[in-house]
Amino acid sequence: MSETRFSSLQMTALVILRALIGWHFLYEGVAKLTRGNWSAAGFLLESKWIFAPVFKWMAQNESILRVVDAMNIWGLILIGLALILGCLTRTAASAGMLLLTLYYLSTPPLVGLYYAIPSEGHYLIVNKNLVEIGALFVIAVTRSGQFAGIDRILGRLTGRSRR
Amino acid sequence: MTEEKKKPEQSGSEKKGLGRRDFLQGLATVPVLGAFALALSRDLSYERKRKAQAFSHARKRTGDVKEVKIALLGAGAQGQVLMDACLKLPGVRFTAVCDIWTEYNQRRAARMLDKFGHRVNAYEDYRELLAEEKGLDGVLIATPDFWHAEQTVACLEAGLNVYCEKEMSNTLEGARKMVEAARRTGKLLQIGHQRRSNPRYLHCYEKLIRETGLLGRITSARGQWNRAVQEDLGWPQRYEIPESVLHKYGFNSMHQFRNWRWYRGLGGGPIVDLGSHQIDIFSWFLGANPAAVIANGGTDYYAKTTHEWHDTVMAVYEYETRDGIVRAAYQTLTTNSSEGYFENFLGDQGTLHISESAGRGGVYREPQAPQWDEWVRQGYLLAPEKAGQATRADAVLDVRETIAPDRHDIPVIFNDPYHMPHLENFFDAIRGEADLTCPAETGYETAVAVLKVNASIEAGRRLVFDPREFHI
Ligand SMILES: NC(=O)c1ccc[n+]([C@@H]2O[C@H](COP(=O)([O-])OP(=O)(O)OC[C@H]3O[C@@H](n4cnc5c(N)ncnc54)[C@H](O)[C@@H]3O)[C@@H](O)[C@H]2O)c1
Repeated sequence: MSETRFSSLQMTALVILRALIGWHFLYEGVAKLTRGNWSAAGFLLESKWIFAPVFKWMAQNESILRVVDAMNIWGLILIGLALILGCLTRTAASAGMLLLTLYYLSTPPLVGLYYAIPSEGHYLIVNKNLVEIGALFVIAVTRSGQFAGIDRILGRLTGRSRR
Repeated sequence: MTEEKKKPEQSGSEKKGLGRRDFLQGLATVPVLGAFALALSRDLSYERKRKAQAFSHARKRTGDVKEVKIALLGAGAQGQVLMDACLKLPGVRFTAVCDIWTEYNQRRAARMLDKFGHRVNAYEDYRELLAEEKGLDGVLIATPDFWHAEQTVACLEAGLNVYCEKEMSNTLEGARKMVEAARRTGKLLQIGHQRRSNPRYLHCYEKLIRETGLLGRITSARGQWNRAVQEDLGWPQRYEIPESVLHKYGFNSMHQFRNWRWYRGLGGGPIVDLGSHQIDIFSWFLGANPAAVIANGGTDYYAKTTHEWHDTVMAVYEYETRDGIVRAAYQTLTTNSSEGYFENFLGDQGTLHISESAGRGGVYREPQAPQWDEWVRQGYLLAPEKAGQATRADAVLDVRETIAPDRHDIPVIFNDPYHMPHLENFFDAIRGEADLTCPAETGYETAVAVLKVNASIEAGRRLVFDPREFHI
């Protein structure tokens, strides 16, 4: 099995990509937290396509919604921190992909679906969520945390840096 | 770093143990968090500052105020609203209530007042009230428009100060008599255009229009009250008023009694009912009475037999202000509620959007106008919202297509019942501590401006105002 190795420049590019996505996640979480009264309900109620009943059900169920809101806020913050720091990078990237996939599936930009919440651009099937999912996929399958990130330190300490 | 570049990454890092390079590179992205923290703290303090600038309208006093004794005439929908607002004000005591619907509205109001510890005598005929009740300081009149003139004049002549709901009167003749009576008796007559005392409107007028003139040259204004389709008002069968009583008070049926607004000779239709509030704001903010009006309207949707006044009206006013001509478009719809009610003032440097509806309103700078930073610093406006915070209605679909003007919030928060400051102003005036914000003369000028709309529709052409029409 041939293993492709990355140059430092390539690794640096991945680290930058990781930090940018991390920043985005972190601020999305913090902004919702500091706003105090944020809730996913508005977004969920906008849901269309085949999963819409599930998302709407979440929004309409008071206790479920509270859990969804908290998981969103803290999920975003933790994933963001982990990505910036390169700590448990693979787990963080995968969790981020999962979260974004839920967002995407809730309001996918498919032909004929229109949303009341305006978006700042024009999308067909591919939107920024999907692009960010793709970027996180790259982060998840490369080892930028081992290059620059807490993972490097963790790896050394546990001696599991190389396989 | 340089040797690192030559070597493929990860080679040579087979060794166990934590080296200095591992440590540094492991923490290489920590500064990003530092930058984030810095950016976030700025972000939060900007928001904090923005919020701190908004000052709540704090009412001046609690407790220790001179008591004012009042009576309520007309305890219908609006009478209840006024009553509720008064019950929140210190130093106001109801001693009597008068309403011809004795079994229903009158009883409900008396019970409510009783619950709040106001012992009131109830009357059907206001003349009886005036004969019996001594020691009153003022009355609040919230009967149908066609009763205002007679009742107001009688109350003033009985030595009472009067807060009379808009529309001042359904006829100019009636409104004129009211002004004359106020002058003759020297008593106070406040007309119920409550926006005149609303702290948000006062801020807009005094600071944004008069003092800073930050809208530039105002060239046009726009206002509307769009209301959804409504069924005619009904009544509980067992509380039907006997026909003889209805006739005595000028109504020919229970339906007419409940829906008086729509009948000629009783009300003035939506343009008078709703429009008078907002056309009053046009004249106030523009500092002028209209010079001409052209209007169009009709009963297009409802039954003409029960809706004698127009259900749809569109009017265009011309104002000759010190700065030049201002054209103002106003409409009332009763078949569609889109965008609700608001008044807009459009100048070459900015737009003021204001509504009595709490939470609406904002000031928009034209992209080419001078910056407003100075006014923000002085607290006349809130700092503009950050991009992305625009409300749904204001959002542009594509940022690349339109330069959206900055949106500034009006820094006065007003959460009290809408009519409270206006009533408070009336009571303070009775106590000798304030001047009325909407005295009889002002109400009259607005009545002249508003009633001409129906005249223009009737005439089917543009009607010019003689400046002398506005003054008595
Ligand atoms: N300022 C505002 O925002 C505002 C809002 C709504 C109404 N109003 C004004 O308030 C007034 C009342 O409107 P409303 O919606 O309460 O109408 P309404 O029909 O609900 O109430 C009118 C009340 O007056 C009573 N009444 C009728 N003739 C009377 C008389 N001769 N003597 C004593 N009582 C009599 C009726 O029994 C009824 O209880 C109108 O002038 C209206 O324009 C002002």
